[in-house]
Amino acid sequence: MKKKIAVNPFEEYEKQCTDDELCRLEEFFAEFDMHCRLRSEEKKKLREDFERAVMYYAREGLSLEKALRRLDIKHLGGFYARPPVLWFALDDAAKVYPLSMQHVSMAVFRLAVYLKKEVVPPLLQMALNFTIKRFPTFATTLKKGFFWHYLDTTKRRFCTQEENDIPCQPIKVSGSGSQTFRVLYHKNRISVEFFHVLTDGTGGMTFLKTLTAEYLRLTGVDTPPDETLWDIDATPAAGEFENAFAMVPKGGSASGFVDKAAVQLSGRLSENRPCRIVHLKLDAAGLKAAASRRGATVTAYLLSLMFIAGKAATDELRGEASIQVPVNMRKFYPSQTVRNFAMYCGIRLPLEQLDSAEAIVGEIDAQLKRKASKQAMSEMLTATENMVNMLKYVPLAVKQPVAKLVYGFLGDKIFTNTLSNLGVVTMPEAFAEHIQSMDFVLGTAITNRVECALVTFGGTATFSITKMTADPSFEEKMYDLLCADGVRVRAEGSMLYEN
Amino acid sequence: MKIEVTYPAVPKRRLRRRRLKSAAGWLLLFAAYICPIVNMVTGGKAWSVIVLISLYMVWMLLLSTDLVEYNRISQFTRLIFCACALLAAIDVFISSGWAIEVVPIVCFSGLTVAGILFFTDFEKQKQNMLPMLLLIFMAMGASVVGLCLWHEESRWALAVMGAFALALLVACAVTLGSEFKRELRRRFHTK
Repeated sequence: MKKKIAVNPFEEYEKQCTDDELCRLEEFFAEFDMHCRLRSEEKKKLREDFERAVMYYAREGLSLEKALRRLDIKHLGGFYARPPVLWFALDDAAKVYPLSMQHVSMAVFRLAVYLKKEVVPPLLQMALNFTIKRFPTFATTLKKGFFWHYLDTTKRRFCTQEENDIPCQPIKVSGSGSQTFRVLYHKNRISVEFFHVLTDGTGGMTFLKTLTAEYLRLTGVDTPPDETLWDIDATPAAGEFENAFAMVPKGGSASGFVDKAAVQLSGRLSENRPCRIVHLKLDAAGLKAAASRRGATVTAYLLSLMFIAGKAATDELRGEASIQVPVNMRKFYPSQTVRNFAMYCGIRLPLEQLDSAEAIVGEIDAQLKRKASKQAMSEMLTATENMVNMLKYVPLAVKQPVAKLVYGFLGDKIFTNTLSNLGVVTMPEAFAEHIQSMDFVLGTAITNRVECALVTFGGTATFSITKMTADPSFEEKMYDLLCADGVRVRAEGSMLYEN
Repeated sequence: MKIEVTYPAVPKRRLRRRRLKSAAGWLLLFAAYICPIVNMVTGGKAWSVIVLISLYMVWMLLLSTDLVEYNRISQFTRLIFCACALLAAIDVFISSGWAIEVVPIVCFSGLTVAGILFFTDFEKQKQNMLPMLLLIFMAMGASVVGLCLWHEESRWALAVMGAFALALLVACAVTLGSEFKRELRRRFHTK
């Protein structure tokens, strides 16, 4: 039997190169060797990423000189050349996530950008290789300490994958040096799924924007430095990775976590979590106009619709519906941090009061102003800190089972639903031209049947619904309510994930 | 409302695997529920305790594996902890008098294997030290307590286990040098 000899495509490519080009490539990879001191198998993978990118450019007819300029080794910095030494204690909000996670449920959220052209995988991989060094807290792996988990720096090639699973699935963080986020691509979409220990929506968006900008630069889009984007070659500053909770002034009263159980939407909980993702792509101007007609903010307006849609999706006749609204603490305490720096509040209304969106929007606005105020958030933050201090000398082996039990018992029962609004995202004009829209998908809770999130880019506001039940009542009612208010809506999403 | 599908199809295999794992979990739970009942009905020695510990071992080592730091050292130390608990339970509930010698020997062997696993893949495994450190500390603690409380001839196994644990700790500290201190600082931080 003849033995098959594997052909190295890069060697084949090199055979077609001129002597001058071979010389350039040799110099290029000699420089690569100086910048990469990873273990041999990781180094090999990283080198192959460069080779694939060079071959892609060659196929596209780009000269080798231009290709190597785009792939300049200096973008690797010293990240792959130095051994890992840094470690990061989890911030106050992140501490709960590894304590309460299970094999089937983990606090994962997803941010995605839709480009106008299909994603080129070798270039996305190179964009990640260059971007990761700018985010030292992302280049980490989750570790167990005796009292708390922590993030330990890991030096490896962080990989991108083609999307082929249900969104927001638990990330395998158990292996030595495993990633705590995943970068996925599918057609024209780049998605990043983050384990919440790393970052919150704002921090995640900073990463996605930086990654997308780097990807677009590699595809040939160029723009002068812009202050809305992180420069991947800049040196990371301590303030960008601080536990910002620590800088909030202490004292005052503590309150916030406990509340009455809220009404849950009806519909059998699905085995697959989530069982469907629905994106309502809204005309941003129309949405703003509809909110203005009600004299409310976009968040308050959407909350009013969610309450009405929620009522249509439950069989309960009495009780209180409650929607959790994450609050970005950066607006009260300006910080550059890309780690978690958010608290939340709950907007509550009795079911009997939910007659129409017009009738409740005023009350929602008032509750938002009161409950998402600096004072209220500071009280919740004090409560969080008190709890962290109380538990800090309790061994993890004791804390973890108790936390799982408490989380399983209390869990998300005090809320019916969630609305996380990331606001309006901007990119420099040259990059924005190549982007269609963005979306933000929350991971699943325990009993809440739906979780909602909103992000606006360009003229499109994407309202994403993460579903835990096959019952379509909620999204259908939302769709009807938005259409009735004159907002242009287009529905996209996943198929129903059924066994 | 018509939804345009923009996500890829998910292979059924993945979905089925999750279901299978869940089914196995329920089967174990059922066995754990039924065994003590059968034991109580039939009478005799408390063999169901041994079955329960064994089921817990299967659950922990195969179905509910570590979510953080799942590696060869952590799995092996888990196995050693469970095996020691199982041996102690057999001694207490089925036939007694031998565990005080056997458990330290098993623990000693466990420390030896953990040491080999650690030092043969040092660069990678130095990130996975905590389970081995805990095994070392527990062996040392158990050795001291055992030697103080147990005054029979069979104390030698406890002494060997304690001495070997201390030797392994020193070997780790010497090999890791300043990194050992840093490792301890991050592993035992309270921030």
